[in-house]
Amino acid sequence: MSDLDRAIEQLRACRLIPESQVRELCYKARELLIEEGNVVSVDAPVTICGDIHGQFHDLMELFRVGGDVPDTNYLFMGDFVDRGFYSLESFLLLLCLKVRYPDRMTLIRGNHESRQITTVYGFYDECIRKYGSANVWRYCCEVFDYLALGAIVLGASSELEPTGSGMNDTTQSTMPIDDGELETEVLNSRGEVTMSTYRQRQRAASDISTDTQNISPPRDISSGSTQTGPPIRNGVPGTGASGDGNGSLATSRTGAVLCVHGGLSPLIDSVDKIRLIDRKQEVPHEGAMCDLLWSDPDEIEGWGLSPRGAGFLFGGDIVKSFNHLNGLSLVARAHQLVMEGYKEMFDGGIVTVWSAPNYCYRCGNVAAILELGEDANNGGTVSRSNGEYGRSNGVGELNTVVSPGRRYRVFEAAAQDTRGMPAKKPVADYFL
Amino acid sequence: MVEERIMNSRSAPAVPPTMHAAVYPTKRPQEISVQGFRISTQKLPILKADPIEEMTRKLGIAPPEMIFGDNYVMIEHEKSGWGINFNSFDALDRVDKTGQSMLQVAYSKEWQKSREKTHEGIKEVVKPFDWSYSTDYMGTLSPKAPPFEETSDPIPIELLTRPDPILFFDEVVLYEDELADNGIAMLSCKIRVMPERLLLLTRFFMRLDNVLIRLRDTRVYVDFATREVIREYQSKECEYEKVRQTLANTRGDVPALMRDANRLSEILPLVEKRSERVVLDG
Repeated sequence: MSDLDRAIEQLRACRLIPESQVRELCYKARELLIEEGNVVSVDAPVTICGDIHGQFHDLMELFRVGGDVPDTNYLFMGDFVDRGFYSLESFLLLLCLKVRYPDRMTLIRGNHESRQITTVYGFYDECIRKYGSANVWRYCCEVFDYLALGAIVLGASSELEPTGSGMNDTTQSTMPIDDGELETEVLNSRGEVTMSTYRQRQRAASDISTDTQNISPPRDISSGSTQTGPPIRNGVPGTGASGDGNGSLATSRTGAVLCVHGGLSPLIDSVDKIRLIDRKQEVPHEGAMCDLLWSDPDEIEGWGLSPRGAGFLFGGDIVKSFNHLNGLSLVARAHQLVMEGYKEMFDGGIVTVWSAPNYCYRCGNVAAILELGEDANNGGTVSRSNGEYGRSNGVGELNTVVSPGRRYRVFEAAAQDTRGMPAKKPVADYFL
Repeated sequence: MVEERIMNSRSAPAVPPTMHAAVYPTKRPQEISVQGFRISTQKLPILKADPIEEMTRKLGIAPPEMIFGDNYVMIEHEKSGWGINFNSFDALDRVDKTGQSMLQVAYSKEWQKSREKTHEGIKEVVKPFDWSYSTDYMGTLSPKAPPFEETSDPIPIELLTRPDPILFFDEVVLYEDELADNGIAMLSCKIRVMPERLLLLTRFFMRLDNVLIRLRDTRVYVDFATREVIREYQSKECEYEKVRQTLANTRGDVPALMRDANRLSEILPLVEKRSERVVLDG
């Protein structure tokens, strides 16, 4: 067994590894992360996770519910540290897994992966308390600077494979439409379906005949590729296929999914612009990099300023046009606590995923992870955009993409070791 | 109907109530009755998406991130019909909704300067309001409660420092917000009931990092035998840097002290104080 595997085993048991090993781990992680672009490309199937905030036992519960690494391909959208009592154990375990299985574990940066924020919200104090010096905190902060700013998920299926273990009497479900496809499914931590939604198949007869002829269609007509093996995902933002304004990005029926911790930025109108940021630095107080990690969607039109005097809010129209221009079908983000563990907004154009159950050990919220399945057609069918797509408004939107099938696994806080936890029952005191 | 709601992905995700109950066992209200006074508290998880939307609509502002909308602390005197309760909705209803008393985070100037260069189009602050959720809430009185009168009588501290047995104690958070990682705002309520009297303290604590520290306390004292109720409100605040300097001169752990509302209460200068009393009919 390698040192790394031993470290993983030790951290899984919530026991820390020696400082020298942390230094080595952080060094290896940096070497790996420096090779990653600002926007990492990830192939479906993938499980997308939101904030963890040092809730180690709940992270273990997440792996129990979502599957272990490397069996499951994970994408974590930042905020690994601060607030909870086990930021070190949580972050170091994720980092070990990243180094051990680089292709099965994607970590992107949250606003808490910053020197300034961690000195105020707990991670710095935890490092001092557990290691007796700020060294480990410094190593970790250096890794933070190299974390990617976002990820693009490609090749997700528009349709979910039914789980088939529904709780029949209690399932809240739309009636399966004749020949409807399963669009979203919500499962509890026991794997029982608690809700599912269907949508009408959107392919016209002409499309179907096209599809059946193309047994193994190239993903992108323009690529003209006849490759075997995993399809090269052309036409995604940043590959040079963007910019003709005709939605060549949406070559798969399901558009790509952008994952980012906070949200959009008025300085960023294309995914390519994210790639141009010089990310290897502390999170700045302003600018595109700051916005990606800090901004929030809101029920407004256009862009707005947060009343706090710093930070942007963006409305549904912004998300819609950003998705449209970039051939995206969905923005997945974290950053905000949601009681149900996930929250879709703007007709499903954006989703907030929150993975810290019973946040701060007192909110009583559930957490969720989002699973995107792999397109069974090995990369999806080529959308012919024959005008049949704009079914709802009757307008033939040429580059309409369909959102991916979304499976939310909802889970509760782990029954955990309560050492160091605030007492559940308040202790009576003679306050004045 | 259900089908329509679920098909429309704008609506909140539906998590069946059973699941919710499993994660956080629903507790019945805790209560105790002493000499004609009934004291009750309720603690439940933060609100779900639908009730949050409803609250947002009713309040006209977005509620704090952690909103314990079902929590409350209540004191009732059956005979006189007097009662007071502390809940988050009424507390938030007293937050400034106009934006007149809006604070700005420490790096706001720097941020806005850079923004002006690049996004002149975006000028508008969306729905301005006091996002620090500062409230001068002193509780919600029952409709039949006789009015308070101003008084200079203080709450009898000497009777409250005696080690009388505590028959009932609870601490209930009404709301909390991390101010987008710029500090903390929290409204919480503590109550302790002794055989002869009770004391309730509702405290609003706000620390806007590098800007301001604010403390607003409402105390309710009830003497069961005389049925005298005293309610006292105190507001204290001070610039962040001044507090930090004061604490730096002590030997304590400054960051820890900056999170300790009790300790800060001893240092912060008084801004406002008022007291009132009422004697209930037996």
